[in-house]
Amino acid sequence: MRQLSADVVVIGGGTTGVGVVRDVAMRGYKAILLDRADLAQGTSGRFHGLLHSGGRYVVTDPLSGTECAEENAILGHIQAGAIERTGGLFFTLPGDPDPDWGDKFLAGAATAKVPVEEIEPSRALKLEPRMNPTAERVFRVEDGSVDGWQLAWSAAASAKQYGAQILTYTKATEITTAGGRVTGVRATDAKTGEDVTIDCGFVLNCAGPWAGGVAAMAGCEPVAVVPGRGIMIAADRFTNVVLNLCVKPADGDIIVPCHGVSIIGTTDVKADDPDHLPIPADEVQKMLDAGEKLAPGFRQQRLLHVWTGARPLIKDDRVAASDTRHMSRGMAVVDHSTRDGLKGLLTIGGGKLTTYRLMAEHIVDAMEDQTGDHHPCRTAEEPCPGHEPGRYFALNHRLKEREADRLSDQIICECELMSRTMFTDLLKEQPNATLDDLRRQLRLGMGPCQGGFCSSRAAGLAFEEGAIDIERATGLLRLFLTNRWYGLWPVLNGQQVAQAALDDWILQGLLDIGHLPAQTKEVI
Amino acid sequence: MFEPTSHEANLLARASVDQCVKCTICETQCPVMAVTPLFAGPKFVGPQAERFRHGESVDHTLDYCSSCGTCTLVCPQGVKIAELNSVARAAMKRDHMPPRDRLISRTTLMGQAMRPIAPLANAALRAAPVRVLAEKIAGIHRDAAMPVSSGQPFHAWWAKHQPAPTAGPAGTVIFFHGCAGDYFEVATSIQAVEVLERLGFNVLVPKQGCCGMALQSNGLYDTARAWVRRLVADLEKAPQDLVIVSTAGSCQGMLKHEAREIMGVEDESLQAIGTRTRDICEFLLEKIEAGQLNFGVKRLDVTVTYHAPCQLKGQGMGQPAVELLRLIPGVTVVESGATCCGIAGTYGFKKEKYEIAKAVGQPLFDKVKEVNPKLALCDTETCRWQIRQHTGAQVEHPIYLLHKALGLS
Amino acid sequence: MATVVVGAGLSGLAAALRLAEAGERVTLLTKGIGGLPLSAGTVDVLGYAGDERVTRPYEALVTLAAAAPDHPYALLGRDAVEAAVAWLQAQVPELLAGQPGVNVTLPTAVGALRPTCLYPPSMAAGADLAGKAVAIVGPRQLKDFYPALCAANLARTPGGPAAAVGHSLDLPARPGEADASGLAYARSLDDPECRARFVAAVAAVVGDAEVVGLPAVLGYKDLNAWRAIQEGLGKPVFEITLIPPSVPGLRLNDALTALAKAAGVRIVLGSKVTGYTAEGGKVTSVTLHQAGHNQPWPADHVVYAPGGFESGALRVDSYGHVKETLFDLPVAAMGSGTVATERVLRATATGPDTMAPEGSAATGPDTTPAPAQPLLTGDFWQDQALFKLGVRVDAALRPIDESGRPVFTNLYATGSLLAGAIRWSEKSGEGIALGSAWAAAEVILGR
Repeated sequence: MRQLSADVVVIGGGTTGVGVVRDVAMRGYKAILLDRADLAQGTSGRFHGLLHSGGRYVVTDPLSGTECAEENAILGHIQAGAIERTGGLFFTLPGDPDPDWGDKFLAGAATAKVPVEEIEPSRALKLEPRMNPTAERVFRVEDGSVDGWQLAWSAAASAKQYGAQILTYTKATEITTAGGRVTGVRATDAKTGEDVTIDCGFVLNCAGPWAGGVAAMAGCEPVAVVPGRGIMIAADRFTNVVLNLCVKPADGDIIVPCHGVSIIGTTDVKADDPDHLPIPADEVQKMLDAGEKLAPGFRQQRLLHVWTGARPLIKDDRVAASDTRHMSRGMAVVDHSTRDGLKGLLTIGGGKLTTYRLMAEHIVDAMEDQTGDHHPCRTAEEPCPGHEPGRYFALNHRLKEREADRLSDQIICECELMSRTMFTDLLKEQPNATLDDLRRQLRLGMGPCQGGFCSSRAAGLAFEEGAIDIERATGLLRLFLTNRWYGLWPVLNGQQVAQAALDDWILQGLLDIGHLPAQTKEVI
Repeated sequence: MFEPTSHEANLLARASVDQCVKCTICETQCPVMAVTPLFAGPKFVGPQAERFRHGESVDHTLDYCSSCGTCTLVCPQGVKIAELNSVARAAMKRDHMPPRDRLISRTTLMGQAMRPIAPLANAALRAAPVRVLAEKIAGIHRDAAMPVSSGQPFHAWWAKHQPAPTAGPAGTVIFFHGCAGDYFEVATSIQAVEVLERLGFNVLVPKQGCCGMALQSNGLYDTARAWVRRLVADLEKAPQDLVIVSTAGSCQGMLKHEAREIMGVEDESLQAIGTRTRDICEFLLEKIEAGQLNFGVKRLDVTVTYHAPCQLKGQGMGQPAVELLRLIPGVTVVESGATCCGIAGTYGFKKEKYEIAKAVGQPLFDKVKEVNPKLALCDTETCRWQIRQHTGAQVEHPIYLLHKALGLS
Repeated sequence: MATVVVGAGLSGLAAALRLAEAGERVTLLTKGIGGLPLSAGTVDVLGYAGDERVTRPYEALVTLAAAAPDHPYALLGRDAVEAAVAWLQAQVPELLAGQPGVNVTLPTAVGALRPTCLYPPSMAAGADLAGKAVAIVGPRQLKDFYPALCAANLARTPGGPAAAVGHSLDLPARPGEADASGLAYARSLDDPECRARFVAAVAAVVGDAEVVGLPAVLGYKDLNAWRAIQEGLGKPVFEITLIPPSVPGLRLNDALTALAKAAGVRIVLGSKVTGYTAEGGKVTSVTLHQAGHNQPWPADHVVYAPGGFESGALRVDSYGHVKETLFDLPVAAMGSGTVATERVLRATATGPDTMAPEGSAATGPDTTPAPAQPLLTGDFWQDQALFKLGVRVDAALRPIDESGRPVFTNLYATGSLLAGAIRWSEKSGEGIALGSAWAAAEVILGR
């Protein structure tokens, strides 16, 4: 039993929650963040990697467009290293449903102050030769791609500098209240089973698609969160500029180049349970068809992985009218003092990853409205640790790094150029991490071989260098392969089948991992 | 301006990146990796690094790739590894091409410059102080194998040549000798013509310039593309339904596939020329096996090492020279079993690569010395220079033995 | 005219060598080096029958053939497999030890015990670890081997050693190289001086261990390097196969390639066979896509040993259709006994619970059971039925169509192209490759 105390407990370690804990800590509060799993393990790591220019919303939701454009610039200041400045193209095609969309797009962009430049299709094809060559009108925007995991971890590092505690794999089980006020949070350490009790005066519920359940822990009427499920498919990178269909936002309207992959997104289907999100075969086919429209030949690209995420849309008619100033379109702050008569609990939902910092600012402002103790928000000004304004990520960074240390270090994950030192350093920081936890920060096993070659190396290293026993080391290997396959089999085709066959040949045929000593307990 | 990283240029090779399943078979056969850790290996600098380059080759280690092409040859999945590396290296050198790379890339220039005063030029190239200077200024290793210029170029011999009485009944072929075959390896070219005529072919030799191979392997794509197009135009002047028979083992590869696959030359004329081009041994073997030639050869009692050059192996036709020579009674052909002689075009000329190239070729040199220290066979010019340099053996094109067996020498 | 063999894996090489030995003119066409460098360098005949570990593979394959009539072994029968395995062992006795018909278990790099039939002599001591004290040793600079992991798993394996301890050495293959391949080590251990340094370093850590397990890098060209190391250490050593490219696989590949060449096989490496011509139900030539032009290679017989899914000979397109890529041979879904030209992969794909914390996945995915058996499932640990797909053949190894008739009268399919087995799962790859190559050669030779 661990006993902790804080001013504020943030529940949910997605980008929003991490942004919130950073903001709270920077304003001088003692803050603790809880997540039942790892940072950005849910929605924040399960998107298409787009850093919005705002272009997507200029017609349907100009306010969001403006916010995206502003936040895009701010993230370039505070977390540039997580961002690749790819640029983006919106293009119209013959037979688009609304032939006037291009004009509406230009007009909307002017209103929303989203920088847009119309260019000749021939010039656009020079920028991105894989764009559909039948494009009629093309608009250049400042889309980029962003690594959600890096956003979360570097914001968390910043929060820690301001005294915040980040407790991952710590599942909140109850929000305790007394006399209409929040008094604390009970939680369980998922890895050790230890109970954790935190005394606090405020809880900020940033649990995204799970926010409804978290609010219910405080005995509130469940917040109506409607998870909107979407699938994303990653092909080995074949584009270098974000490609958008210039139409009313629809399924499969974008391909984003992010790290070594080009990601197509996405679908939007109401999900009942964010813990169980299927990847239906027909949706995969629909995405492949959409890919053909955006970049003809998409079906021939090598597909590496598919994943599904849930948008945390809040549809709660009990949001108080007074909250609307915090509610730019698409994001909502629910004040449970007006809604449920419980002070000290706020829930945030909606929004998008590009505006995560702004969402955090809004909910912390709302908290201070309740406490009456106002401090300025400084999250837009100070770069996060490890980031310098304008020093953006470039795809060849790791190649440069390996060029420098190639003769003195080993490359453990060759597809993603992850070195032995990168792995062992992070393992020292997070000795209880699973290989997937390490993967999200290091990209272990995310390249073409999908773990066929690197997984046994990683397990061997974790055992040799880490503080884990053989049961856990072997379990980590099994778990990693189990999870890689989840995202592989629904899109398995083409050359990736040859890879999967070779991987099986190695893992089963040569290593016979299926006949390693049986696992006696679950690995987390 | 040709842009080596442009979409068009590397579409073919880049598209093959996705074929890689990381099996790493390429690295087991890479002759450079086998002798030095300085080269990160074909898988690393090929399909792996390519995923991260984004048009900018920040990984300078790829310059240790000799472009021998063995990786592409052995890849079971069809990844154009060597081609990827060539393109990436061209991108790397765009802005800081060493003058040395420019100098040794211009084979014709070297040949032309050396020819009128050949004995003097050869002496100069072999004279130690000159070579030290060349190393200091141009980065060409002082001991590197340098071509020996002939007094009389092949085209001068051809101008005076009268067809042999046997020429004609088997049809007409175009002979492609390449510029080394014009200026340096003149005897091979003459032997080829005489062999073809003896076996019944009428031979045409259109005027022909350089294919640009050395420029390409040094990343000078702009000029190389212009040169190969000019060569195609030259060869097109001869009747366009004839087979082009070649003794220039590497230059024929440029015509057959490299100009397209490495430099992205999409050109119908080039393709037509490439389709008609045959290695001389490949051509003769096919004719003999089809029973179309009267192959009367005399016995030659000789045991000789044959080294199949990388550029020839890269054309994926097997080793026709071995099969052809085995048809000569008394000839024992011992395959070198070596991957590469080390020279890889101009790689071994460079001072920082000289020792690597020598180490790469060492198993081959040992083999030559063991099997027959006096004579060895190899189909490409620079490889012959390299083997000569390091073994002291007479190293000839395989056609040399056939020439003898046909009683022509 | 002659036989053309397509493919340079174990099956293609064995067929070519066997035919050339018998005096046939053989040309072997292959896009690249075949699958042997990806293999363990062992001959697996049958390692598992279901969950049961097999000790007598020939007897077990008879039982399997009776129970699974679609399995390649049902067609090949024990005799062909037995003859082929014995023949191969006689070809390369210096590379294959063991008693045909009897399985042993050998430690893998992660410390599992893997059943196989024939194995390099350098691995023999690994087959007999029960109750012994074992040291597992490897250099840190070799990223494909983690002695501690291997040893710790071996130590907790029933029937394994009494004790196993892992030791990592700081011993680069070449000066200044932190990341050396297994082959780099094997080449360095061909050199007696490097070997002496290696022996000294290993001897310093093994203590009282009775047997020493080392990564399978004990020499490349020098097939006695491991013996020299064993003598140097004064105790039995055994090699442990690493992930590809494996040195034992390379040694076997080199030896068989050399034997094939010596027997007169013409090997054409580097070009892909992209087409064929046929007349009157016979393949008359295959088309080789050489640099610059397509070259027809006339053939009386064609042995088609291109590999399966791993080589791309069998492909799945983005719609889930499965095809054989060269002759467009009918691809069979096994279990039904029928043959279909294409087969849909995921009629009812439902996804895993991807949003749950990933730790909970250890208990297995929560997928809705599909009504029909899909070719792929979301459970990595189950056999994927897709990989049982392949080409069905008649008793003469000729691919057959829906009606059971041969597609061509002189085309023989061998190796992992054959339908009916997941070779890496049941450990039957080499047995099937060799048995089918042998049987095809017998047909061509008119025996």
